[in-house]
Amino acid sequence: MSTYLLEVRDLTCRFGGLVALDRVSFGVQSGEIFGLIGPNGAGKTTLFNLISGVTPPTSGAVLWRGGAVTGLASHRLNRLGLARTFQNLRLFDGLSVLDNLLVALQRRPRSTSLAGVLASSSHRQAEQQRQALAWQLLNELGLSALAEREAGTLAYGDRRRLEMARALATGPELLLLDEPAAGLNPSEKDALCDLIAGLRQRHNLTVMIIEHHVPLLMRLCDRMAVLDFGVRIAEGTPEQVQRDPRVIEAYLGGGGAA
Amino acid sequence: MIDNGLLVQMLLGALLGVSVYLPLATGQLSLATPAFYAVGGTLAALLSTSWPALGARADGSFPLPSFVLELALGGLLAGVLALLVGRLVLRLQGIYLAIATIALVEIVRVSILNLPFTGGAVGIFGIPQPFPTAAGYLLPALALLALTGWLCQRLEVMPLGRAMAAIRDDELAAGCMGIDTTRVKLTAFVLSAVLAGSTGALAAHFLNTWNARQGSFDTSVTMLAFVILGGSRSWLGPVVGGLLLTALPELLRPVGDVRLVLFGLVILLGPVLFPQGLITPGVLERLGRLGRLGERLPRESEP
Repeated sequence: MSTYLLEVRDLTCRFGGLVALDRVSFGVQSGEIFGLIGPNGAGKTTLFNLISGVTPPTSGAVLWRGGAVTGLASHRLNRLGLARTFQNLRLFDGLSVLDNLLVALQRRPRSTSLAGVLASSSHRQAEQQRQALAWQLLNELGLSALAEREAGTLAYGDRRRLEMARALATGPELLLLDEPAAGLNPSEKDALCDLIAGLRQRHNLTVMIIEHHVPLLMRLCDRMAVLDFGVRIAEGTPEQVQRDPRVIEAYLGGGGAA
Repeated sequence: MIDNGLLVQMLLGALLGVSVYLPLATGQLSLATPAFYAVGGTLAALLSTSWPALGARADGSFPLPSFVLELALGGLLAGVLALLVGRLVLRLQGIYLAIATIALVEIVRVSILNLPFTGGAVGIFGIPQPFPTAAGYLLPALALLALTGWLCQRLEVMPLGRAMAAIRDDELAAGCMGIDTTRVKLTAFVLSAVLAGSTGALAAHFLNTWNARQGSFDTSVTMLAFVILGGSRSWLGPVVGGLLLTALPELLRPVGDVRLVLFGLVILLGPVLFPQGLITPGVLERLGRLGRLGERLPRESEP
């Protein structure tokens, strides 16, 4: 009966005595851009960590196409079609930009190590396909001029785009973006907005995005959820969420008898 | 000054250096190489001295196919051991993994010392010789090193090698990119063990005697020094480190007991003067350019 691509049910995460997430439930439909907002410390990144298998949840369930995937290792979740970026950029700094993508492309297509050692024609073919996909993504994200550069030496905005390219290289259906606009200037934010919308079109993506920049989310998102102190306090279209009194209270503070 | 015997030892050092390097290429500091070296060596010593089917003759000679079979078996046994142990110890990281692997080295050493059939403290001696002179061992040692180097070179353009480099940079991110990090780390650990096991089997014949002291904590540290001095960014680093640091104590023999002090100084000053090791990415790039040009760079083109 579930029509969601990704659904979380009563997801709870405790770190010692701290309840980072408290029975959070919502669902993301295939093809939509789903925003996740909330004040600092609301548990947004923790939620991403649970969904992507980085942290195991204390209780609750994560469903992928209606089937439970709670507690699966991050590489298994990625192979199901779920890729993410990181708030604090976690590129493979010692590798070239191209190699960063080739790491993520290693199962597109798969090839055996034996074929690789023997440099067989099947290995060469697989390598060519991976290279072609990598260059396609580099071109799409405007990184092709930097292909040979070490990832650690790139400028900040390029690093952000490379992280997105690397996540896309794994061939995901659902892309989790953790504050992709952080540290970008207004015109870069606009460009990013167009980029994300375009990527969704071209790659048939479902996107989940954590962002503090509310105007960007309002423009981009089909639906969104709001977290505050680990509790989901609202869910709906941007307009609905904007008018929700609990959201206004969380962001502006309770005015007593307002 | 460098005779054939020393050359063989240097090559063995290079092989063991690569064995330490392989787990390190996935960011795992494992000091288990001497344990696998000891396992391979002990197996070869036992088989060749007490299994007549291998064809050891009374004059101390040994058929070459049996020798090659022993290299394979030594690697295989060490690899199986690594597969079993690796599943457990690779859950640890950093210094904890290093300590667990030191424990493994000690367990293997004490076992070999006390097992009823490994010759106790005296060890196993009179190991038959497939080659009449030390020079004969140059060929198999070189062949093993060439094979290892070729495999390492292939890794760089293979998914497995890229996954190793990615895990070394950021294990968590590598997992999120679909890489089964546990499996890749285990693969590197097993490859390292296979190499050490085969090297041990070769060394047992070369040295003619074998005992528990061959794989001790001291050797762990020396082998780690191969990688630190040589550099851990490419397999060439531990090869250079292994060759140099094996040769050094012998070359310093004329200065008497001071040689150990000098050897210690080199190990101490190496990382200070060459923090990235002798073979840095810059050196590799220049080597690569030389390789592409074939030979003889015109002087003016050097910046």
